[in-house]
Amino acid sequence: MNASAENAIRHGEGAPVAHKVTLVEAVNLALAREMANDDSVVVLGEDIATNGGVFRATVGLKERFGYKRVMDTPLAENLIAGTAVGMATQGLKPVAEFQFMGFIYAGCEQIISHAARMRNRTRGRLHCPLVYRAPFAGGIHAPEHHSESTEALFAHVPGLRVVIPSSPQRAYGLLLAAIRNPDPVIFLEPKRIYRAVTQTVMDNGEALPLDTCFTLREGDDITLISWGASIMETLQAADRLAEQGVSAEVIDVATISPLDRETLLCSVAKTGRAVIVHEACRNGGVGAEVAASIAEGAFLDLQAPVVRVTGYDTVMPYYRNEQHYLPQVDDIVAAVEQVIAL
Amino acid sequence: MKDRYELTVDYVRYLNDAGEPLDELPALSADADRLLDAYRNMVLARTLDQKIIALQRTGKCGTYPSVLGHEVIGTAIGQCMERHDVFVPYYRDQATQLLRGVPMVNMLLYWGGDERGSAGWELCPQDLPISVPIATQCCHAVGIASAMRIRDEKRAVVVTLGDGATSKGDFLESVNLAGAWHLPVVFVVANNQWAISTPRGLQTGSETIAQKAVSGGLPGHIVDGNDYFAVSEAVEHALERAHGGKGATVIEAVTYRLGDHTTADDATRYRSADELRSAWDKDGIKRLQSYLHRAGHWDADKEKELQAHCRDKVDKAVHVYLEKAPEPPVAMVDYLFETLPAALAGQRERLARKVEGVRS
Amino acid sequence: MRNFKLPDLGEGLPEAEIVEWHVKVGDTVEVDQVLVSVETAKAIVEVPSPEAGIIARLFGEAGDIIHTGEPLLAFEGEGDDSGTVVGELKSSQARDGQGEADSFIIGAAPSSKRARANRATPGVRALAERLGISLENIKGSGPGGLITNDDVHRQASHQKQLGEAEALRGPRRTMAKNMALSHAQVVPVSIFEDADIHDWEKGTDITMRLVQGMARACEASPALNCWFDGDNLSRRLLDEVHIGIAVDTPDGLFVPVLRDVNHRSMEDLRQGLENLREAVATRKIPPREMQGATITLSNFGTMTGQYANPVVSPPQVAIVGAGKIRDKVVPHKGKPAVRRIMPLSVTFDHRAATGGEAARFMAALVEALGVDSNG
Repeated sequence: MNASAENAIRHGEGAPVAHKVTLVEAVNLALAREMANDDSVVVLGEDIATNGGVFRATVGLKERFGYKRVMDTPLAENLIAGTAVGMATQGLKPVAEFQFMGFIYAGCEQIISHAARMRNRTRGRLHCPLVYRAPFAGGIHAPEHHSESTEALFAHVPGLRVVIPSSPQRAYGLLLAAIRNPDPVIFLEPKRIYRAVTQTVMDNGEALPLDTCFTLREGDDITLISWGASIMETLQAADRLAEQGVSAEVIDVATISPLDRETLLCSVAKTGRAVIVHEACRNGGVGAEVAASIAEGAFLDLQAPVVRVTGYDTVMPYYRNEQHYLPQVDDIVAAVEQVIAL
Repeated sequence: MKDRYELTVDYVRYLNDAGEPLDELPALSADADRLLDAYRNMVLARTLDQKIIALQRTGKCGTYPSVLGHEVIGTAIGQCMERHDVFVPYYRDQATQLLRGVPMVNMLLYWGGDERGSAGWELCPQDLPISVPIATQCCHAVGIASAMRIRDEKRAVVVTLGDGATSKGDFLESVNLAGAWHLPVVFVVANNQWAISTPRGLQTGSETIAQKAVSGGLPGHIVDGNDYFAVSEAVEHALERAHGGKGATVIEAVTYRLGDHTTADDATRYRSADELRSAWDKDGIKRLQSYLHRAGHWDADKEKELQAHCRDKVDKAVHVYLEKAPEPPVAMVDYLFETLPAALAGQRERLARKVEGVRS
Repeated sequence: MRNFKLPDLGEGLPEAEIVEWHVKVGDTVEVDQVLVSVETAKAIVEVPSPEAGIIARLFGEAGDIIHTGEPLLAFEGEGDDSGTVVGELKSSQARDGQGEADSFIIGAAPSSKRARANRATPGVRALAERLGISLENIKGSGPGGLITNDDVHRQASHQKQLGEAEALRGPRRTMAKNMALSHAQVVPVSIFEDADIHDWEKGTDITMRLVQGMARACEASPALNCWFDGDNLSRRLLDEVHIGIAVDTPDGLFVPVLRDVNHRSMEDLRQGLENLREAVATRKIPPREMQGATITLSNFGTMTGQYANPVVSPPQVAIVGAGKIRDKVVPHKGKPAVRRIMPLSVTFDHRAATGGEAARFMAALVEALGVDSNG
């Protein structure tokens, strides 16, 4: 982590400072900022305190905020998920880390049966202002089980928000919003781009809105919809298409659920064409929800069918074949060409 | 490291089945008011229980788990806890919930299928609602206890669970965390011998449940769950430990599930009438009643008066419950998030237009 | 500090004894330079350096046993924190090359929101066309603002009662929108002057002279050849002069752009102007040809009028208006004379330019026009 961000986190500078940070550093910055602003924010998970997290997302926090607010838990995902629920009902704001999304499944019962429902089943008497964070998705040559992209599972659970940042700035702003939100948020961090991009981010405590898509690039000929690490390939595809004279509008969904259908429909009203890109497998993926929403809400504006560019309906292959699974720039450009031709 | 680790788990009872003292009774036995309060609560719990079962049989209530056999454990916990402690129940804790101040109408609403049952618990606003997924409440309990520890509060959590729940990871993980983080929590396992149709012997090869405490480095105690004095003393002592920052405890209270698992279950399919009959001989309410009679605190008139009083109280609550109109359909959406996301606005609109009997 | 761990010295030997160090703390070493001699069960082995660097620390002295995988010595520099526990995380290549602030729109782009506003099924569109009704003016009463048949019929009868309201289309519509936009933003100040063109040759191309004159004026006063951003209060002074030439046609006002006026030859400019005129006349002018003007010329003098305060078109900051050439009685060399005069107007956006800059511009323009055809 670069020296200036590390310095800010360790010594808690009060005035807003601009930092050149990667996505994972932006996560760290946001955690430190909100822990300084709000005493009720606590962080727990495996290897997050002394070690600073296996991806260094929580580095420096224990030194600055102490072991009572930055807790190394035993190795038990179900326990982590459920303990966070209990803490949250007491008015703490726990940010619990699952070391990888592949290990979140053990915590599903606590997340789905309890965190997502506590407000509803007590009619607001108790609620869970918590965040479950996990590095997710593939492309880092990791061993099996470390490349999961199952955001659709959680998008299907009422009472849960699912948020996926795709840039350091959006990671900073959206994580702040997630921590401040009075209801549970699953915050999935695309680890393939943890360190891939650096941006200047003002550490000013300003959150970005949840439940909103972001228009990254304006265009008139086609709408490209994506989230997470696939945003990188989508932007590159947009560049290549611009050279071919096709102007693509690029939208980062960011909050997968609840979905901001309005922004998507506005864009399709303008362009008349949509291609959805996601790394997760095709069947039952969130792309299906987006496509259905566009068909329902913008049928009159469509000039061509809505096309999805996704991972295959298989388990993510290991290291050697990983690149065959992930949607590539070529795949996106080909899908757009196919759609434009109609 | 020790060369050898020895574990002793005591089994404590103070009264025989007939309610006669076996040994010198603990100090709380001198507090007649406390004993009478306890007895009254047990009878109230049982009266309510019978009524709810009747409601279910007449279609006025959903599936319901009877509290029969758990009245002593529940009452002892409710009396020993401080108001500012937090109670984390499973689903057979009616006796405790009555003492914690959960209104009977709420309990009826919950089992009657109305979410408002778990709302508005003004006397115990931080207590958790009923937990249906087995043992999951243990993790919540250690989470709550963690919050107390982080804030240096002199409060404690009592969490209850059944013998079946002790097989689940949530229990073992929570015991483990309670030990690792030195948390102010009391686990009370109501071992009523049956997890639906699975007898205690098939649930675990462990000789006792209390000894599972050692896996987390916690002390474990066994008490006769039908013995009011034994349960009260154990819970009191455990809460003292917790309040005093001395850590967590596991208490196994041995009793018998005198009713079916729930109103949807028929226990005669898997257990004998003989076994049930001999279990009734050990009933804790009868035991305490005998003791109170012998001690001169109770008589037949008082009993009659109490029964009438409890019936009346329960009937009044049932009446309020039956008269209460269901929530409008939009209630389905209104409590999912603090503020309704735009994505749900269209669905809420549809629900708002729904009139009973008319589909939109 | 970067640790160098004792490598496997072959045949699975687990440990070695340090015999002799060949470097000390502070030494600069090269790749393959021998660091230390160690003795294994089988032989004495020399351990070469895996990298070039400065020795920061030695772990152990002669006689100590070190096991395979244990730190042998440390190099100065950044720690070897891989920052992950599985796989590899690619770092951004040029850390200083990147690092710009992110830019994105929250929600939909304004153009998208506008697109969503007008909604009608193909059937309703067809009905509207048949009845000669424009959908633009109708507020839809259907779900989500959808325009229904009833809405169209209502509009039709409304029009019948009051008479045909002509919905503005095409260039007239654009003009209305642009003028409103300009009015909302620009702070216009006009300056008027006369250019003495008496000595021009017969048949001089007036527009060419104006175009060239403006190029000269822009050189003299660059502040009027720029793009101004009123929201962020910034301006871009431009090297090239692209003149938007306002052309009036039966279909309305068009402003095609004659590009790079100050760097092109006369012939080239003339040809360019001809091409533009033709393209406009035949309405074969692509939208791109009407973008990018840095300053505009309104030659309203082809009809009538002396002076005007034509409208500045943001992000431009100035517009030149040329009035009808006429004879005027003016003082000339001390005596009254009848001279051929071209009235000129310059309107500029006072947010972006000063009166002095505008006056200088006007002076240069008047001077350039006043020179005879060959000057």
